[in-house]
Amino acid sequence: MSELNKLLNKLIRDNAGKAKLFTAMVGLTIAILLLLISVQLQLNFNELLNSKNNKDSIANFLIINKEITDASLGNTQLDDSIINQIKGQSFVESVGLLSPSRFKASIESNSSQFPFYTDISFETVPSAFIDLQETNWTWNEQSPYVPIIIPTLFLDFYNFQFSLSQNLPQITPAIVKMVLFKVTVYGKNGSRSFNGKIVGFSDRIASMLVPPEFMNWGNNLFAADTKNQVSRFIIKTKDPSNPNLTKFLKQHQLTTDTDKTRFSKYRKVVDTVVKLIGVAGFILFIFSIFIFTLFIQITIANCKEEISLLIVLGISPNQLRKFLMGRFFPIYCWLVLIATIIVMILQYLLHINLAKQLVMISPFIDPITLGSALMVILVIWWANKSTIQKAVYPKNAH
Amino acid sequence: MFELKNVIPFPLIEKRGVEKSNIWNKQLLFDNGERIKITAPSGTGKTTLIHQLYGLRKDFNGSIFFDGIEIKQLSSHQIAIQRQNLVGIVFQDLRLFNQLTARENIELKRVLQTPYYDSSKIEEMAQLLGIDHILDQPASSCSYGEQQRICIIRALIQPFKWLLMDEPFSHLDNKNKQLAIELISNECNKRNAGFILTDLDDDLYFTYSRILYL
Repeated sequence: MSELNKLLNKLIRDNAGKAKLFTAMVGLTIAILLLLISVQLQLNFNELLNSKNNKDSIANFLIINKEITDASLGNTQLDDSIINQIKGQSFVESVGLLSPSRFKASIESNSSQFPFYTDISFETVPSAFIDLQETNWTWNEQSPYVPIIIPTLFLDFYNFQFSLSQNLPQITPAIVKMVLFKVTVYGKNGSRSFNGKIVGFSDRIASMLVPPEFMNWGNNLFAADTKNQVSRFIIKTKDPSNPNLTKFLKQHQLTTDTDKTRFSKYRKVVDTVVKLIGVAGFILFIFSIFIFTLFIQITIANCKEEISLLIVLGISPNQLRKFLMGRFFPIYCWLVLIATIIVMILQYLLHINLAKQLVMISPFIDPITLGSALMVILVIWWANKSTIQKAVYPKNAH
Repeated sequence: MFELKNVIPFPLIEKRGVEKSNIWNKQLLFDNGERIKITAPSGTGKTTLIHQLYGLRKDFNGSIFFDGIEIKQLSSHQIAIQRQNLVGIVFQDLRLFNQLTARENIELKRVLQTPYYDSSKIEEMAQLLGIDHILDQPASSCSYGEQQRICIIRALIQPFKWLLMDEPFSHLDNKNKQLAIELISNECNKRNAGFILTDLDDDLYFTYSRILYL
């Protein structure tokens, strides 16, 4: 410490009381802590939504249709305006229309050992939305069979319920894919039969899917009417928990797999809590800055005579400001550092805890959180500087 | 150099007899290196004038220029630089920090700017003025005469072109007065500095270049 500062330390003493100062320091630390925690939580949340590790754990595809109510019965087709509207939403990456078959169809077993027969209907969807890489996903009248994708649910239903109740053998997906069965399509122009084959199982779309070529062919030849009406569509979204998505669906009386959007409710809660923490931290921060400003003012007021004599003797505004800043500012820097270290520890503990549940977040705090800590220091520095300036030179006094 | 243009303090504007003053409401130039004595009875504004020259008071008509710049217009920073390097002062009311020792009071003025003297000079000057034994006592416990000598050393420890002294020897006996006069004279000579000294009566403490009556 310079000779001048040693002497100034003797002249300018803190008279505000150690206990009060300590309380104010604890308050400021908590305020900074809350602020930084709210920033880091928000960043953790974004990481969970967007990072590669977690992307697969949250559904990205949603099938949407009108809610079936008494009012919408028989009128579930979606008009172009809704589809165009949803295409324009920021939470939607792409939209694919699900075209239903408008002809009658049935499938039946070719084998007498394993007989089955059922009426059925199909849907088709742009191949970009199918969660399988099926190279033979096409059809023409010369094709040896009609490729069909069925929901994994169907096989599970058979294996874990139906086979047990009917005393039938359980079957593996590989076996199912080997079975050829008869697909019959019929309508206004009679009927046609083909071989059919299950080529895959979809977790994404709960529907019997056929290639668009087969669908178009069937609808053209056998459909009772020619209107191509859409009742369902599939969207690709970055974040199915986006509350705006849920809001949009609700507004337009649309519905989707609530399991996938249920997360949006939690997210809303988390969002609100994080925002509340942030707001509480911000308010506490403002109060703390105000209290510390008072401490500076009290110290300066208590040493008013000494300071004015120092000015008379020729201390420069810079020397005085530097000394007073040196007295108070390091305290703030320590508090910000302590708060940052606490946030670092909390983040690491959160990382360990969530990792046990296979939710991966970074063990380290985000650079943005560190940036926020620096911002806090800057704000404090500015507040200190202007308080000292105003308190020492109220009317540009010499 | 100091230049005074029709300076008159607000309280004296209406006062009778001001027109007889050599200083108030006159045009004056104090050249660098001049040794100026200002004599006046109590209540005529000696301290006011010293404070005006030092930039402490602005409640006056007219202008005071220091090296061509009007003192009233100086910023806090400029005035601080002036007090650190160009103008030393011995206040009539001393203005010491009571909680600091005599040595610390002087040391503060020494280190406020790039030191002109080494700290050992404090000891040396104190010895010359006979107050070396009280250097480590709090200023408040020193007698008025001792405090006055502390103030003189405090003014002499810094660099200056001008020394302002407001009744600096009022509490010194003749012997101590003489010692102080010698020290001040030597220090001014060393720096080629001038001084402005106010007192109640005429005296021959120094060889003055001018004697003015307020």
